[in-house]
Amino acid sequence: MRQLKIALVLAVAVILQSTLRVVWPPFVYLDLPLIVVVYFALQRDALQALLIGAIAGLATDALSSGLLGAGSFSKTLVAYLVVSLVTRVMIDNPLARIPVLAGASLLDDTVYVLLHRMLGQPTNFPFVERASFKLIGTTVVGTVILYLLDALFSERARQRRQLAFRRRIARRGIVRLGRRK
Amino acid sequence: MAVVRTQKEIRQRAPWWFVGLLVLQLGLMAYDARDGVTKQRMIRVWAQALISPFQRAASSAGTAGSSALGYIKDMRNAAAENQQLKARVEQMEAELSQLRASRDENERLKALLDFKEKIEYQSVAARVIARDPSAWFDAVTINRGSSDGIELNMPVVTPGGIVGRVVTLSPWTAQVMLITDERAAAGAVVGQLGQSNALGSVKGLGENGLLQMHHVPGLEEVNAGDYVITTGQDGIYPPGLSVGEVVEVKKGTATVPHTIYIKPGARLNALSEVAVLLYHPPQAAAPDQVLPNVEKKKL
Repeated sequence: MRQLKIALVLAVAVILQSTLRVVWPPFVYLDLPLIVVVYFALQRDALQALLIGAIAGLATDALSSGLLGAGSFSKTLVAYLVVSLVTRVMIDNPLARIPVLAGASLLDDTVYVLLHRMLGQPTNFPFVERASFKLIGTTVVGTVILYLLDALFSERARQRRQLAFRRRIARRGIVRLGRRK
Repeated sequence: MAVVRTQKEIRQRAPWWFVGLLVLQLGLMAYDARDGVTKQRMIRVWAQALISPFQRAASSAGTAGSSALGYIKDMRNAAAENQQLKARVEQMEAELSQLRASRDENERLKALLDFKEKIEYQSVAARVIARDPSAWFDAVTINRGSSDGIELNMPVVTPGGIVGRVVTLSPWTAQVMLITDERAAAGAVVGQLGQSNALGSVKGLGENGLLQMHHVPGLEEVNAGDYVITTGQDGIYPPGLSVGEVVEVKKGTATVPHTIYIKPGARLNALSEVAVLLYHPPQAAAPDQVLPNVEKKKL
């Protein structure tokens, strides 16, 4: 059931990514598949995150006129780095997710464009301008979408939040005891 | 069975009986007595006098309550009416916007139909259903594919000018690389075909939506505002289709060609309906592979 939900979310993200741009061109600055990849990478399941990164990237590449595999490469890399980060640092706070999303967007674009340049494939737009707009759009909308995804796949997120909350309470208790002394 | 009461009990209850009897008698008297002037029974007068403050209070409260209720009802009615009117306005606005969209679509389709009638090539009308999901490219996907007779590299046009060429094909959809893509190019001429010598090739610049025209001899007269059309030499686009309008010319010399910037005639950022030309460029005659000496030997 969970796998089916993940597949549906991915499919919706990829389809919306290509169709929303027809409705309103500024939607190009929103990378929905990347947001989904970052979300699942934040769940600390490395294998799942890598697979989702690869599949989301490949699906996007298949519909794009860019190099087949470039998006997959960049998204898999992003998924791996985010998983590596969250296994070392606690990033369950919604505020802490913002820099992760921003970094993921920038890294994804950099790797994607670099791969194309390395293989002699010109991209159509100036890097700094487009990557900046994409970073802003993906981070702002992505923060909201991460909430929605949390609600959709809530069980584990809820458990983790509870654990984080308990840890915080425990830590505060120790500090207060220390002050009393 | 008679109730036996003690004296003490009787003494205790006596004042109550006394008061009760007095009240009853007063009542009887009041009932019987009539006002000297109006001849009304006094009990009515007293009853009215006694009850009137309560009546007034009740009436005031009732009026206030009723007016409050009326006000609330009116408010509710007004709110409901407001909601209804709002919904109606929204519905009408939606209808209006739909009508406007239909009118625009109608105009575009009419222009496309006129264009189809004007050009001498067979064409398939198509709708843009998706754009490149990558932010770094700008291809479009149309709702017609190989099952509609579309083939790879067929030109895609609008009444405004050329759009691009088909680069990927499925039975029901096709992906079109826009002419503004850095990987796209077309043979073109500034001015009238057959009258102008300002021939060159048009290439996409990608980033700003403009096209760049190369190889136009520096001695040819080219000015901003001139129209650029296809020559048909690229083997993709048929001759005579509009490419766009010259917006800037970096003048060349006798040895250096002009660099010309062109604004595409097709509105590539707001593409909705396009036509795919079922155009097969004329095949170039195959060079004679047979060497003269071989022919001689055979003979």
